[in-house]
Amino acid sequence: MVGMSVLRSAAAFAARLSPLRSGNTAANLLTRTVPRTDKVAVRWSHGKKTFVIKPSEYYDKRFLRLLQYYILLTGVPVAVVITFVNVFIGEAELAEIPEDYEPEYWEYYKHPITRWVARNFCDSPVKNYEKAMAAIHIEKEKADMRLQHQEVRRQMRMTGDGPWFHLNTVDKELIDNSPKSTPDN
Amino acid sequence: MPSDYDKGAYPEPPRQTPVVDKQTSLPNPALILSKLFYYSVDLPVTTFREAIDSIRDKNRAVYYHQKFRRVPDLTECHKGDYVCYYEAEMQWRRDYKIDQEIVKVIQERMRACQQREGASYQQNCTKEIEQFNEVTRNFQSRYEDLGAYASARKCLMKQKERMMAEAQAQSA
Repeated sequence: MVGMSVLRSAAAFAARLSPLRSGNTAANLLTRTVPRTDKVAVRWSHGKKTFVIKPSEYYDKRFLRLLQYYILLTGVPVAVVITFVNVFIGEAELAEIPEDYEPEYWEYYKHPITRWVARNFCDSPVKNYEKAMAAIHIEKEKADMRLQHQEVRRQMRMTGDGPWFHLNTVDKELIDNSPKSTPDN
Repeated sequence: MPSDYDKGAYPEPPRQTPVVDKQTSLPNPALILSKLFYYSVDLPVTTFREAIDSIRDKNRAVYYHQKFRRVPDLTECHKGDYVCYYEAEMQWRRDYKIDQEIVKVIQERMRACQQREGASYQQNCTKEIEQFNEVTRNFQSRYEDLGAYASARKCLMKQKERMMAEAQAQSA
């Protein structure tokens, strides 16, 4: 008796859960027949997936697109310039240095772009060499002067007859020589 | 076209093409293939090269090989003359580079000889191999073990050690 009421209340609850489904009314929930699933007509599609489910490629594609763009933005002009330089202004040819001619420092390079960079941006290697030698000469002079200064100090301290290392003595005029001026004091 | 390599140092091997003794009337496939290669690859490349060269000939520039004056060696510098030391050091560095390049050239000649002779290189290339061994022995006795911070002073000290070892070997 109580079981029957529980079943009926369960049926009413199920009907209330999904009331719009056909065959789900409280009346036929208990008494309806269960459909057989082994003898049912299955419908397959044509097999080709028309909606492929995969993760978004948007961010990867965007990255690659932007990478390509920013690389080519300076890459293409650089490649074009280098091609035109190589085609229209070719590499230099080796030649003997003519008599009485001092070539410029950028005339010792072969490729025209190297020559241009050396001419406009770099200092001549001769200039760098001379600068280094000048720095060494100045430091050498400084070192020699310091050694000389040391030697002079040593000599003057030792012999004492030079202008350095004077100790201030009392003024001669202030000495009172009266106690020793006569032999009988 | 750029200048050709030194034919004296890298002699061409004697030609071994046999006399043509055609006994069939069939066409020679080697001839067909060589003509095909010539017309499809060689001719277009050569015409392209000549076209570009004709444009470049108008703006032909020249470059020179720098010649450095010889300066007094490290042995001829007075003690404490740092400017002389610097010039000697720079000259020694240039000479070190030149010696490295010399060894590379001799090595290249030996390799070319080996490639030319094929399997009988040990017998036919004795001159090149002997030259290479001598050059590398001298280079080794002068510059070996100086390391990455090699300097003219270290090389001079190495020479001193060598001379001392020689004098000892002679007296002993």
